[in-house]
Amino acid sequence: MAKFEHEVLVVGSGAGGAMAAYELTKAGIKVLLLEAGRDYDPKTETPMFKRNADAPLMASGNADKNFGYYDATVDGGWSVPDEPYTTDDESEFLWWRARMLGGRTNHWGRYSLRFSEHDFKGKSRDGLGADWPFEYSDIAPWYDKTEQLVGVCGTNTGLDDMPDSAPGVLQPPPKPRVPELLVAAAANKLGIKAVPMHRAVLTRPKDERAACFYATPCGHGCSIGAAFQTTTSLLPMAQKTGNLKVLTNAMVKHVDTDNTGKVTGVTIIDKTTSEANAISARVVILAASACESARIMLNSSSEHHPNGLANSSGQLGRNLMDSTGAGLGATIPALRNRPRYNEDGHTANHLFIPWWGHKAQANGELDFPRGYHFEIGSGFREPGAWVSGNFKGYGQDLKDEAKSNYGASVYFALRGEMLPNPHCYMDIDPEVTDKWGIPVARFHWKWSEHELNQVAHGLQTAKDILETMGATVGELPSPEQAIAKGGQIIHEVGTARMGASKEDSVTNQWGQTWDCPNLFVMDGGVFASNPHKNCTLTILTLAMRNANWLTNQLKQGAL
Amino acid sequence: MQNTNSTTMMPAMSRRQSLKLFGLMVAGAALPGLAACTSSTSAESAIAGSTAQTGHWPTIEIKPIVLEGYGKDPNLIIPPTSPWPKTLTETQLNIVGRLSEILVPKDNEQPGALEIGAPHVVDEWVSAPYSGQQHDRDTILRLLIWLDEEAQLHHDMSFMGLEKAAQMAILDRIAYGTDEAPVEYHQPAQAFDRLRKLILAAYFCSAPGSREIGYMGNVAIAGDYPGPTDEAMAHLDEALASLGLTDYAYSPIGE
Repeated sequence: MAKFEHEVLVVGSGAGGAMAAYELTKAGIKVLLLEAGRDYDPKTETPMFKRNADAPLMASGNADKNFGYYDATVDGGWSVPDEPYTTDDESEFLWWRARMLGGRTNHWGRYSLRFSEHDFKGKSRDGLGADWPFEYSDIAPWYDKTEQLVGVCGTNTGLDDMPDSAPGVLQPPPKPRVPELLVAAAANKLGIKAVPMHRAVLTRPKDERAACFYATPCGHGCSIGAAFQTTTSLLPMAQKTGNLKVLTNAMVKHVDTDNTGKVTGVTIIDKTTSEANAISARVVILAASACESARIMLNSSSEHHPNGLANSSGQLGRNLMDSTGAGLGATIPALRNRPRYNEDGHTANHLFIPWWGHKAQANGELDFPRGYHFEIGSGFREPGAWVSGNFKGYGQDLKDEAKSNYGASVYFALRGEMLPNPHCYMDIDPEVTDKWGIPVARFHWKWSEHELNQVAHGLQTAKDILETMGATVGELPSPEQAIAKGGQIIHEVGTARMGASKEDSVTNQWGQTWDCPNLFVMDGGVFASNPHKNCTLTILTLAMRNANWLTNQLKQGAL
Repeated sequence: MQNTNSTTMMPAMSRRQSLKLFGLMVAGAALPGLAACTSSTSAESAIAGSTAQTGHWPTIEIKPIVLEGYGKDPNLIIPPTSPWPKTLTETQLNIVGRLSEILVPKDNEQPGALEIGAPHVVDEWVSAPYSGQQHDRDTILRLLIWLDEEAQLHHDMSFMGLEKAAQMAILDRIAYGTDEAPVEYHQPAQAFDRLRKLILAAYFCSAPGSREIGYMGNVAIAGDYPGPTDEAMAHLDEALASLGLTDYAYSPIGE
């Protein structure tokens, strides 16, 4: 067999990295993909059909497995062994990482909502944050291609918050469940629409992936490939081309440059031997996650790049954004003792509430500039370590109370857009290094009034809907109490934002760094804003579009 | 403990639960004196000076579990059946077993919390090296001590030495929340509520409990998700009507 000689190095095997590798290898370009975590095979490692009772602590979460025993995340979560991160004294920030092939795509929520023209041009509209350096119409065909490749179920709603997909792109959504239908009616009375969620879950077979069989939470991973993750789709497809080589346990320490400042490759730590190795390449694509890629670039200073690689704008590590998060739930008396049926469905929202307030914002009726959506928590879930009810005494009364309350609660999870602000950024901790000797990321965080006002509005709206459903809702918490910590919604983006000018952005619209033409960023780092719609679909779409552009550049000999 | 024996193992019990029951019998026989906390539950010393009026919530130090957990990459296909050593003494397990029987008794063919192995779930829980469980450990171990102290105070006997009626008289003081109970029973009442919820969770998590509460998922469906049954939709329609929401019922959008 001929020696494998790669042209492009891709750092990271999650949404951005795997899509870039797929796009490049499909076009005949040889790619070496580096993954800091271990190899992972969903076919043999996914706990399908496992019951909570069969895992320690009824499968509930803890410091080792933050989202429960069966969560797919390997060697990660809010902490990674031997790889700390820090915050300044005033900040709280949580950084979810995975150390496994496929990265966080193995466990993500699979919610896949397109950003709209409205989202890409926020600054033009309200003067805040930054515009993206392209129009929705530029990216719409790429959303279509991505949705088709990934497999997204949902419908075209025609709502102003949800751009339509091209005909035939979306797969049929599953039928709504009873609590979702009750929410939809109550919200409708208040002038708010609940509609089918868009989710990267197959309801029809595609390629070698089976359609969902409506069992086993997607967060456990999906051995049949119905719930999209790169380890059952893009990575094996790229491997089939013969143009992909994957190196796991390869932690990038820094990007290497020559004495003219040009990128020549990367230096990795082989975690199995703890040895550093330099790997050269014609082009380097960073897709290690927004904060990990920014960390690598900030750790790659040199004479030509004194403040971090490709950081002549000073924007590297700045503009760090998460989604806002807050929640409110209640028991709905009308849902007590309801008839049982299987409500697993595709194990997440069949209906959700997209942002309905664009017009109100345009009319200046709201005291916050950017929107949010509600995800709905409800249903006859598999019993776990917590039982809902107000329990008194013993025996049959307890059983009756538990059974009455089963499936009777509804919880609204707000996910909203935050604006970048000067207090939210990451840099490199001057003192702390990880096990591999790599200086670690340090986070700085402060919500602004925009986010707090938005959360206050969301809590009140959730209360209104719950009360319309007949629930008793107590006094609301303050938005400061209710808002999730920075990073906690795991939508952190913006640390290497793209823009129209090298003065105020790190990359151009293709994810190509302004300072180093052969260095690209293809993860959430390039986001110029962070619309409330969950970032992964857009990471995938940008990676497809930009890897396609890179392919053409390479074929034309421009790089 | 007269209530735990192999004949109570149910056919529906999972391998894990059977192993746990087996493990209990072995451990119970071999390690009768294994202590779960730093001092023995010496009722006399702990309640010296206490009366039923002033209350006697145990204040002894309960040492936390300092151990590694199962780590960040455990085997998800074959979960560990014994991820850390269990720490309840035989006496403590007996009390939890008795409470399990009282809280969720066996009912004809339907096993109760004891039969599905709730005491072992509680033992695994209070022995786990994680912060949430450590908090519960403190609460629950104090409750178990308190039950013995209360029995000593009123009857000069251990809780397990009492007849059922006397046990129930003690439990009645703490099983109905804090609203009604005198203030000296608030702490044991809150602790009892925590243990009650844990035992209920263990029960409903088990295969028989899960069936009883009506969980019908975790089965592969061929074809499209069928959605609510006619009966479930009829119930929803009633709910919508009762809330004045019939006119606002969901209609599919954009399909």
